[in-house]
Amino acid sequence: MEKIQNKFRVVANEKLCPRFYRLSLDAKSLVKAIKPGQFIHIRVKDSLEPFFRRPFSVYRANKTADIFYEAIGPGTKILSEKKKGDELDILGPLGNSFSLPPKGTKTVVMVAGGIGVAPFLIFSDSLKNKGYDLILLYGARTKGHTFNMKDFKKNGCKVYVATDDGSVGVKGRVSQLFSKIPLDPKTTFLYTCGPNPMMAAVQAFAKENNLAGQASCEEVMACALGACLGCSIETTGGYKTVCYDGPVFDLQEVKFH
Amino acid sequence: MNLSVKIGTAVFPNPVTVASGTFGHAEKYFDLEEVKKLGAIVPKTVTLLAQKGNPPPRIVETASGMINAIGIENPGADVFIAEKLPMFKKIGVPLIISVLGHSDEQFLALIEKFNKVDGIAAIELNLSCPNLKHKVLVAQDPASTERVVSQVKKLSRHPILAKLSPNVTDISDIAAAAEAAGADGLSLINTFTAMAINTKTRRPVLGNLTGGLSGPAIKPVALHMVYRTAQRVKIPIVAMGGIRSTNDALEFLIAGATMVAVGTFNFVNPRAPLEALEGLKAYMKDNKIKDIKELIGSLQI
Ligand SMILES: Cc1cc2nc3c(=O)[nH]c(=O)nc-3n(C[C@H](O)[C@H](O)[C@H](O)COP(=O)(O)OP(=O)(O)OC[C@H]3O[C@@H](n4cnc5c(N)ncnc54)[C@H](O)[C@@H]3O)c2cc1C
Ligand SMILES: Cc1cc2nc3c(=O)[nH]c(=O)nc-3n(C[C@H](O)[C@H](O)[C@H](O)COP(=O)(O)O)c2cc1C
Ligand code: FES
Repeated sequence: MEKIQNKFRVVANEKLCPRFYRLSLDAKSLVKAIKPGQFIHIRVKDSLEPFFRRPFSVYRANKTADIFYEAIGPGTKILSEKKKGDELDILGPLGNSFSLPPKGTKTVVMVAGGIGVAPFLIFSDSLKNKGYDLILLYGARTKGHTFNMKDFKKNGCKVYVATDDGSVGVKGRVSQLFSKIPLDPKTTFLYTCGPNPMMAAVQAFAKENNLAGQASCEEVMACALGACLGCSIETTGGYKTVCYDGPVFDLQEVKFH
Repeated sequence: MNLSVKIGTAVFPNPVTVASGTFGHAEKYFDLEEVKKLGAIVPKTVTLLAQKGNPPPRIVETASGMINAIGIENPGADVFIAEKLPMFKKIGVPLIISVLGHSDEQFLALIEKFNKVDGIAAIELNLSCPNLKHKVLVAQDPASTERVVSQVKKLSRHPILAKLSPNVTDISDIAAAAEAAGADGLSLINTFTAMAINTKTRRPVLGNLTGGLSGPAIKPVALHMVYRTAQRVKIPIVAMGGIRSTNDALEFLIAGATMVAVGTFNFVNPRAPLEALEGLKAYMKDNKIKDIKELIGSLQI
């Protein structure tokens, strides 16, 4: 059995836009094992501060295993200072993964808010050239939260952007872009990842239009192995752990608060 | 080198175990050959009926530790026995089953259920869960502790450990009551009642308002409680509270613990219990200690 806990070396750690970084790891076993939607749990520093590991979706797994992250607090700031050659203690791959779109799906729509876009690159890597129309609706706060999306476009994604201040793309929330979603329940399937209010909006829109889909959720994590029951969220089926039962759930199953 | 230890009639191949609520899904995530090296496994506390647990958020990190308010989410004893126990048994490591009753009757009903089950080394009574809304916990009152433990002892065919709460004036008073009631051993400590506040919203961080503090932050206090209790009682102690390394494990053993459990630190380093065990063996070899019993309670004053 592949070990779940490993030390991997940083190959590169670059700032891709004012807010987001991409960190690449020399992690062959991860690259081989990871499925789109799964995440890894990183010990950013060998010390008691910060205490928990930090969870990150895998952004891409080709030669290296990459994560795409926003430096928003102490843990991600430490991560942003990692240099080529540094070693990181990593648990993974963890959690479930996106299911393939159901039979008959023609259009796959990915709705992402901010850094919630991360799991969709590896997902579109796996869906390209399979005959789907791929659409990415990306909502960001500011221009600083937008980045060059050529990798998505290379995978054949039609990309639409909205920013809160209108500095890039359409002005407003990602819901301004819902008009791009083909409203045929038989052929359109949704995937969403981002802040809860945004995913709640996607859920409501999907419900209104009878569209099915999946949501990738976040919650603070300790073990990330389904052991502590600390990362539970409310679902129509009771409390479920994001790390073990998720992070991917049926779109209508999650109760966003 | 002899690492084996005894609690009542139960024998454990070595003194390193894991704390209840901090270890799960061994079959999916861990190298089972490694897990087999543990002295014992303690699954999450089981109650008579299923409990859905507390509303999220359930955990928050603190300086060198965490606060949790899980609310003993568990599937209830029957489902545990039918669906989870077989997996734990398959690992082949002695099992200490943690149980919590909301009344004496529930404790006794749980004991009856586990009397019918084979392949269990001991039962741990969780007398100290701070997350459920009782006014006083059993573990905060010597008389209640004595009452529960003595009834359980009469009924159980397995050795009984009483798990104590640190949220008391003098934990050794409760320990003495458990010993007088016939407990075969003690587990200490559970978590300290604690809270965290979100200053942006001025609301509690945890869905349950309060929770229990654990991790390296509590280790020095836990160590003193174990030391003090070991001075007072003769029954073996399973020690826990912030253990994360060989040195931590050694401190607790020297203070008088017979076994040591890694809890919260499993979340930071899942290999911590095994690393502590390896380190313990190396320490014994370096110091020419042939039997772990030479180390237990060997504090020089
Ligand atoms: C399954 C999963 C996948 C994720 N994937 C990514 C990703 O690809 N890129 C990315 O930038 N971020 C991702 N996140 C969020 C990321 O884990 C947090 O941004 C990060 O932990 C913040 O740590 P910090 O110390 O910098 O910030 P702080 O705000 O100081 O963190 C304090 C605590 O809150 C937790 N926390 C803070 N924000 C979040 C959040 N949004 N979700 C869950 N816990 C949080 C931290 O883990 C930590 O315990 C993911 C979260 C989860 C659960
Ligand atoms: C997330 C979490 C869940 C816990 N659940 C239980 C439990 O179900 N039953 C129990 O007796 N103790 C429970 N505990 C307490 C631990 O078993 C242990 O007594 C305590 O955390 C102190 O040890 P530590 O600092 O090494 O974690 C839990 C602790 C944590 C952090
Ligand atoms: S983080 Fe421990 S169960 Fe999910």
